[in-house]
Formats: sequence, structure tokens, C-alpha cells
Amino acid sequence: MSDYISLTDKEREEMLSVLGVGSVRELFADIPAELGRLKVRLSQGRTQKETEELVSSFAARNKVYKSVFLGAGCYRHYIPAAVGAIVGREEFLTAYTPYQPEISQGILQAMFEYQTMMCSLTGMDVSNASHYSGATAAAEACLMCLGKTRTIGVYDNVNPDTLETVATYARARGVKVVVLPSSGGKAVPYEGEADAVYMESPNYFGLVEDVTAVADAVHIAGGKLVVGCNPVSLALFRTPAELGADIAVGDGQPLGLPMSFGGPSFGFITAKKEFTRKLPGRIVGETADAEGRRAFVLTLQAREQHIRREKASSNICSNQAHAALTASVYLSLMGSAGLRAVAETCAANAHYLADKLSEAGAPRVHKGEFFHEFVTDVKGKAAEIVCALDRQDILGGLVLSPDRILWCCTETVSKSDMDKVAETVGRVLK
Amino acid sequence: MKTVFEKSSAEIKGMEMPAPQVEKHIFAEGLLRDGLRLPELSEQEVARHYTALSKRAFGVDDGFYPLGSCTMKYNPKLHEKLAALAGFADVHPLTRADKIQGSLALIDTLNSYLCGITGMDAFTTQPCAGAHGEFLGLLLIKAYHASRGDGARTKVIIPDSAHGTNPASAVMAGFEVVHAGTDASGDIDLDALRALVGADTAALMLTNPSTLGLFEKNVLKIAEIVHDAGGLMYYDGANLNAVAGVVRPGDMGFDVVHLNLHKTFSAPHGGGGPGAGPVGCKKALVPFLPNPRIADTDEGFRFNYGKRSAGRVSAFYGNFGVLVKALAYIVTLGGEGIAQASETAVLNANYLREKMSLHYPIDTSRPCMHEFVVSMKKLKDDTGVTANDVAKALIDRGIHPPTIYFPLIVEEAMMFEPTETETKEGLDRAAEAFGEIVRLAYADPAAVKRAPVTTPIGRPDEAAAARHPVLVG
Repeated sequence: MSDYISLTDKEREEMLSVLGVGSVRELFADIPAELGRLKVRLSQGRTQKETEELVSSFAARNKVYKSVFLGAGCYRHYIPAAVGAIVGREEFLTAYTPYQPEISQGILQAMFEYQTMMCSLTGMDVSNASHYSGATAAAEACLMCLGKTRTIGVYDNVNPDTLETVATYARARGVKVVVLPSSGGKAVPYEGEADAVYMESPNYFGLVEDVTAVADAVHIAGGKLVVGCNPVSLALFRTPAELGADIAVGDGQPLGLPMSFGGPSFGFITAKKEFTRKLPGRIVGETADAEGRRAFVLTLQAREQHIRREKASSNICSNQAHAALTASVYLSLMGSAGLRAVAETCAANAHYLADKLSEAGAPRVHKGEFFHEFVTDVKGKAAEIVCALDRQDILGGLVLSPDRILWCCTETVSKSDMDKVAETVGRVLK
Repeated sequence: MKTVFEKSSAEIKGMEMPAPQVEKHIFAEGLLRDGLRLPELSEQEVARHYTALSKRAFGVDDGFYPLGSCTMKYNPKLHEKLAALAGFADVHPLTRADKIQGSLALIDTLNSYLCGITGMDAFTTQPCAGAHGEFLGLLLIKAYHASRGDGARTKVIIPDSAHGTNPASAVMAGFEVVHAGTDASGDIDLDALRALVGADTAALMLTNPSTLGLFEKNVLKIAEIVHDAGGLMYYDGANLNAVAGVVRPGDMGFDVVHLNLHKTFSAPHGGGGPGAGPVGCKKALVPFLPNPRIADTDEGFRFNYGKRSAGRVSAFYGNFGVLVKALAYIVTLGGEGIAQASETAVLNANYLREKMSLHYPIDTSRPCMHEFVVSMKKLKDDTGVTANDVAKALIDRGIHPPTIYFPLIVEEAMMFEPTETETKEGLDRAAEAFGEIVRLAYADPAAVKRAPVTTPIGRPDEAAAARHPVLVG
């Protein structure tokens, strides 16, 4: 239990005598006596071996599926072994925020490269060095746009956790949230007043939205458009910037991070240049030292809480730097062709499964193009289908209602897995 | 050093990913993007690039890291192995509750340990970092007052020694910030506090020990003043590493607590995150915790959705992988081990301060807790050498600098936090290095101002970076 303390008893004695105290408890003399007498009751310590056994026993009580057809904001992708080997280096893992640039060039440069990659994916001009999650990135991006109307519009077809998170952040500041309608699963352009409108493409149901139509309507009404997107889909589709978004955000988990029961992941926030000084959190910039050597530093810190306190653009301090680094390494390994192949295989699989399910009696609910998620009508048998798949070591899609399942296919599912899903659905529906 | 983009070659294709076994889907032309610019390198080139970057970074395994308020303790290797187990890492957060009993039990177990350590009645693990926890904690307080029809409580009192996140979080949670003055030792001025509290007081946020590394002796009195005025007490857990296992915030009179699992509970900082900032509260605030809550029922653990939640602050259940590491830490140390870690952190800090005071005037009249603050004002007045210069000179001596220019109430502040895992030898060497730098400052101040000279770059031009931002390459 004391594996992680380096002092010997003899050293402890020497140190106490240097301090001129008889016991370490004398150093706690400022603590009122009535507090010190209360006992903190906890378990006995353990050896590392015992801890490993205990914590592993929790892991053993979770089911790890052979194939996963569940997405809805968290995705199982193939993660090359090189990713873990590289990001597991202790210099990356155990360092703090790079406050001292001279000994943190590696971390700062990696963040700078990350910002470049995210801008490349979204087509935007600037990126911060990560936020907590896609949900918080969406929330803070909307707050970046606050203006006269003190109103944020959020479409009803976005990820429900994200919608709720945006609403929490907005309400906290006394900002009104309007839930905007969709039709046939797709956003209906909103022409009312709002400082920011948040939409997703692909949206929660996997549908590729007409972002430009929404952007035009929002801009005419004087608002800004924040678009949430799946970063893997950006290997294929036109960028949010090109389609008229002012800010593009999303959750970075699909870029080489395990599902890990929902975290750690990271949120990215990329924006048009005009928003540079409103971005929340760390930003890395390039500069030089006195000898003209290239150097990277945390910059534009006048936005941040440690300088501006209650006038800061956000309260964020720790971000998800290591998760963002993981995504950078993943993207470096993939290259543009690798990421495009992942995206194409996801899309091909999803369209194959959608056709198969339709043949099996569970047709798609929505019309229009989709990426790697889609909703089918399962005629009241959703729970039964998911249970039948579970027995075959398959994690079925998300049950939205007794009639609706939201399916997801990544590159990790095989044709035979998909055939098995379709066959099972057909059998249950018969 | 060249960026990963500058090392790219158009001839090289990245990792080959499996082609679809089914027919490729052809999207409508108008939907598709033109080229995508990403690094194009072989796997070995990627490995070399990032290995080279890692060699330009400094972690806890590289040397002494006394970065104040950040608790840079050793990060046990076992914890990385555990968080990466397929039974945790390869589990989808929306899997049916009966198939993820392990994850739910782990969160529930961690929550009860955190309740035991803090004296709170319930915890949520949803916040991803300390500041995120502050935001949620303040929302609980807001919801509590609102539930009692007490809408007039719009102000949060924050001492001027507080972390910048406190006032920033209060504003994000929709409160107005009121500053409380502190005396020279960082203790809150009680008379001034009595004059500040009133029917508009929502809460007081306090870090104890304070950012000066001193235990707030009057904490019980402070809690009484705030509670009598109808306000609540918020505990910023950033400095819990001094008192974990020794005293509980709940017994000090706090109603809401956030903890930094990446500080006190040994999860690595990752170059800036991910952390985890679970929030605990007393019974009266439990109904406002975010959904979903985890309930221990006859059929096992289940998700519960309360109707009075103050709102979700992120997706899913927070940074689960970080929770695994914190639980492993707590069960290895146990109650006694956690108390011993705090005691050793305090011993190391006092010892380092004592040793440094042999070289430079440092007030050692009152024991410090797990960290202490030194003002380099005298050195600056005498020699022109600043806290920043001393920090850079420490780098040349293999030591990560302490936190500098914080807290704001101390001129030329340097805040040292050695943590319990540092060796005596490391502390002795750091005190010697500090002494040598002070002597050099008097003998040859220009030499200190040239530091660091052992690093890949010298001091960067930060003003130019902010004036002409180059944020992508």
C-alpha cells in the first residue's frame, strides 16, 4: 500500500528533526482539534496484485461483444497498435499542461499539429486544443455566438445528450433555448431570431443534412450556425465551412479512441477566423526564440480564466489533451487515403445492412442520404431483436422506441455479421 | 523541428485499411469534398516523429515536478493496464444495464469511497475536469435555492487567493462574483466576510488548504457565518492532497465538493487532460445531481432518471477511464495509505521549504500543508532576477519549475508542491539548485536571465505569438 512513497523511515526521522518536530501530525496543528478527531473510515490497503485482481473483476462483469452495431455518439473503430504504443509514452502521458514552453515543445507542437488537422477536416480557420466532449464543445460554441437575442436554437434531431448539455449551459446563463423542428428526420430551415443555431450533419439518425439551406436561413435572420459533425464522415463530405457553418464542432472519439464506456473522449471546436479570440480553452501558436528557432507556445491567454478570472471566455482549464494527441497520431497513421477508406467502408456496410434489413421486413424510416447510421421500423419488436442479437454475441442498435432501432455500422463489422443481423431481424419479425 | 505535415510525402499512403466486403456506396456528387490534407507518412515515420516530440517533453518520470496546485505525483503503471482492459475500454456506454454491471458497480464503488473521503452523501462522476465540476457544483447550489423559492441568492463569494476557475465558473453558472479579502497568511478576513454575506449570498467557494498552502484555521467559523446567512459552502478539491484521509470537507461544513482525480487520486495529467472532476454533495442537494444516477437495486445496478436534475453537463458518465485509475489508487492505498500519502506530502513540502529557506528568506513560522508559496520580490528588487528567470534556471538543473505568478496576491510568486512520491534526495537537490540560482542571481544576474540553455529552444517570443497568431501550419 505504500509502493508509491519513496521515503524510508530513517529519512522521515531525519526530515522531522530538520523541521524540529517530533511527529508529522505536529505539522497539521492548524487543523482545529475537533476536526482532527473525526476518523476517516476506509478499507485496508492492498498489494498491486490484489488491486489488479479486484479491479479486473469489475471488468469481467461487463460484456464485450464480438460485433457492435450500436453508435449514437460512441463508435467502435479499428485502432492500430501503433496508436497506443506511441501515446503511452510517459512524456506525453504524465506531463502537465505545457506552461513551460522550453521543456514542452513536443506537446505544444503536437497540439499545433492537432489544430491543423482539425481545421483541415472541417475547413475552418482556427481550432482550440480540445474541449471535454462533443456535447460540451457544442455548448460552448453556442455560447461563443451570444449576442442581442440571448437565444440559442437547437434542432430536435441532434444527439439528445448534446441537446441537454447545450440547454444546461445556456439556461445557467439565463439564455433561452428553442428546440427547432425537423421533418422526415431532417432540419427545417429556421428563420426566427437566435444568436446561434446548432444542428448536426450527419444528424442523430445518421442523415446527411442540407447544411447550406439552414445556414442561409440562419444568416438572413442574423444568427450564427454551429454544426456538429462526425470527424470520420468529414473524410468524405464537403466541409461544414464550405457549406456555410460559422463554427464546426464534434466528438473526437471515432479518431482512434476506444469506447471506454463513454470517456475519455474529446470535443473539437473549429471556427472562422473572426471567432479566434472567443474560443474557449488552450490554443497553441507558432513563434520563435531569440535565435530565430521555431517555437510553439500557449497563446491568446488573455481569453482564459487564469488571467481574466470572471471575465474569461470560459472556465475551462484542464482539457482532453491526451485524447486529442491520440487522434492526431491516428490521423497521421491513416493519412487521407486511410481515413477515406474507413469512412467508405462504414458507409458501404451501413447501406448494405439497411438494404438487408429492408428485405427482412424492417425498412428505413427516413428518406435521403445517410452516412453510417440509420433508423429502421421494427414493428414493435425492438427489444426482442436486441435480445436475440445479444444471444449471438452481437450488440444491436439503440432502441429508440418499441418500433425504432438506430443502427450503426463501422469498418469493424463483417459481411457475415451483417447477414446474421438481417437474418435475426427477419426471424423475429416473421 | 519540422511538423508532421512538413515531413509528409505525396508518394506515401498511410496505413492500408480494409476495403469493404460489400458494394461501395456511391454518394451524390454534390455531397463530396475535394481533397483532404492530412499527414502522409509510413508507420515508422509516424513513430519516429512522435518519439522525437516526446523527447521534447518532460513528464513525472523524467524528474522532479513541483508544479504547485497541480499535484504532480507518480502515476502508477498498473492503472494504465487496468483502464485498457477490454472489459472497460471496449464497452459501449449505451449497452443495456444488465450487461454492464461491472462499469456501474465500479462507478458506484468509487462514489462510495469518495463519499467516505469527503464526508458527502452522494457523488456524480459526470464532470470531466475540476472546472467542469465547479460549474456543475454551482448549478446544484442554484437549483437548491430555487427549489426553496429563494431566487434572490445571486452572488458567490470568492477569496482573492482563489484559482481563476472559481470566478469563471461562477459566471458560467449565472452568478455574480463577490471578492472576499484575505490577510497576509491567506486566511479570510472574518469581519469583512460578515459584512459581505446576506440574503443575496448563494455560496462561498473555498480551497482549503488555500492556494498559499495554509490550512484555513477559521473554516468552521466561516461555514457558520455563511450558513447563518442562508448560503452554502463549496469546497474546491484542488488541494485535497494535503488532507485526504486526515480531515473531511463535510466535517468542515462544506455542502458541495469537487475533486480532481488527476491530482489527488494519481490519474496522469496527459499534457493537459483528460482529468475527472466528480462532484459530491450533502443530502439536501442530491435530488439535483445530473441524470442518469446509478441505483443499487435488487436486480443489480440500474440507471435512474430523477425529475429535479440541475441538468446534464456532458455526454454519458464522464471520463470513465480516469475513474478506473482513481479507484485502483484508492483500493491500493486504503484509508491508512491515503492518510499516509497526505502526511508525507505535507512533510515533503515543509522539508523542502525549510531547506530552501537556508538560501533565501522564506517565512517558516507556520507549518505549510502540501505546498508553499515563495515571493521572489526581494531577489527581483536586489538583482532584477524575476520568478520567471528562476523558473527557467531550474529547467537547466533538470527540475520542472513550480507554478509561477500564482496566487495573484503574492508578488513574484513561486508555488512549490513536491507531493508525497518525491524522494528526499530529489528534495535536497532541488533546494541546492534553488540556492545556487539565488547566489548566481547576485553574482551574475545576466547568466540567470539567459536560462534555459539546455533545452531545444530558448525563451520563445510570446508577445509576437499573441500579436500575430499563427495557429495552424
